[in-house]
Amino acid sequence: MKTFKSEKRFYPDYLSEIIFSILIALELLLVLVLIFPPEVGRQIDFSKPFQPLPEWYFLWLFELVSYFPGNLMFIGTFLIPLSCILLLLLIPFLDKGKYGRIKAYIAGSAVLLVFCLFTILSLVE
Amino acid sequence: MGKLFDWFDSRFAVKAPHRRFFERSIPPNLNYTYCFGGIAFTYFLILVLSGLLLSIFYVPSEKEAYKSVVMITNDIPFGWLIRGVHKWSASLFIIFIILHAIRVFVSKAYRPPRELNWVIGTSIFVIAMASGFTGYLLPWDQKAYWATEVGTSMVGTIPLIGKSLMYMIGGGSEVTGTTLIRFFSLHVLFLPLMIGILLWLHFHIVKRQGISTNL
Amino acid sequence: MDRRNFLKRVVKLFFLSLNLSLIIIISYLYPSKIKQKRLLNIYVTDEEFLPKKGIKRFEYSFDKDGERVTNFVFIKRDEEGLTAFSPFCTHLGCLIRWNNIHKEFICACHGGRFDKEGNVIAGPPPRPLERMPIEIKDGKVFLGIKA
Repeated sequence: MKTFKSEKRFYPDYLSEIIFSILIALELLLVLVLIFPPEVGRQIDFSKPFQPLPEWYFLWLFELVSYFPGNLMFIGTFLIPLSCILLLLLIPFLDKGKYGRIKAYIAGSAVLLVFCLFTILSLVE
Repeated sequence: MGKLFDWFDSRFAVKAPHRRFFERSIPPNLNYTYCFGGIAFTYFLILVLSGLLLSIFYVPSEKEAYKSVVMITNDIPFGWLIRGVHKWSASLFIIFIILHAIRVFVSKAYRPPRELNWVIGTSIFVIAMASGFTGYLLPWDQKAYWATEVGTSMVGTIPLIGKSLMYMIGGGSEVTGTTLIRFFSLHVLFLPLMIGILLWLHFHIVKRQGISTNL
Repeated sequence: MDRRNFLKRVVKLFFLSLNLSLIIIISYLYPSKIKQKRLLNIYVTDEEFLPKKGIKRFEYSFDKDGERVTNFVFIKRDEEGLTAFSPFCTHLGCLIRWNNIHKEFICACHGGRFDKEGNVIAGPPPRPLERMPIEIKDGKVFLGIKA
């Protein structure tokens, strides 16, 4: 293991900084819980139509589906999500050679773009 | 350290093998974005704790699930707090995994020899999303039911294996009590165990390879 | 105190303060509804079926929270009148049986033995058998049960 010139050690210097950020994280969590306490949803009722709303990190998937009707549906439900995951997994292996970093950048930002774009589109609706 | 700890240490020698970990030096040019992963892990620990507490009152059955969630939220002291903490730390867990991934990407920390750790991290992210999906059904209310109905139907549209895969995940052609129990088991046993093992690997590799200083 | 020792204190204080959340966890886990038992009068049998003298076992059933519960009781009649013994051993709550030859109650779990008055003869039980309120009304026998 490499050693560095600085006098910083994991314990206590670095650990106390970690704890500082953990405290902020806990604060953030508590504020969110107190401002938006959990609600009890309505009981399941098959007689009433209901617009399904997933967790926010699945909104982009729900939005994607609406662009591919009929037999092409699997593109939105399967092909695009799977290629997103594969692109993510492949990032370290794309980053080889002269233009490696650029290839990795394209892959990473493509996934992030798809995620953000379709999440925003579904929120706008 | 305290006397009690020294007593344990003299018998089990826990201190010596971890001394290198605790007293290792840290690269000087780190900033607070390097904490995103640690914060995500903190939320994971909070999720495990609050999930354990919720499982004491939650009943995974078609008839009782909704009632038990109402009871946790309205009747049990601090039940609303535990449920809120579980729900929100799930969202924050996902957010901080994404932020952590962006930080790793920007600081080029995925480069060799750390490719495998990037792959493990991505797997954790996918399993975390699966946990969110299965956990969403458990309150067994209108919102949960229809989101899961749509979600499992989406799995059904995959060519060739889609339908079989959908029956495999949901235990039938539509969302029923069977689906609820399957999702409960996945959510509280299978997926957390998988995340736990992968996290251990994730940290073990960081410990072995040290913190990346490619920046 | 130098900076390093101060930071060490801070780290320890953080882990100690995490214990405060135990207050929330304990009040969450503590059962909120501990049901108070109340005394029910349950019909057991008719007076004519009671033994003239001695001890006899009677089964009875009643509804509790919509469920049918069946249990039994030992009823003794002698010069003093009627006595009802709960069938639960006072040691750890096993069910006892009446041995008519030796005239004693026997608990098979840990070998506890009680005489016909319910007093402990042998074995680990700490108290005599519990007696239950019993009364006869219009030729019918009613038992007071805590449920």
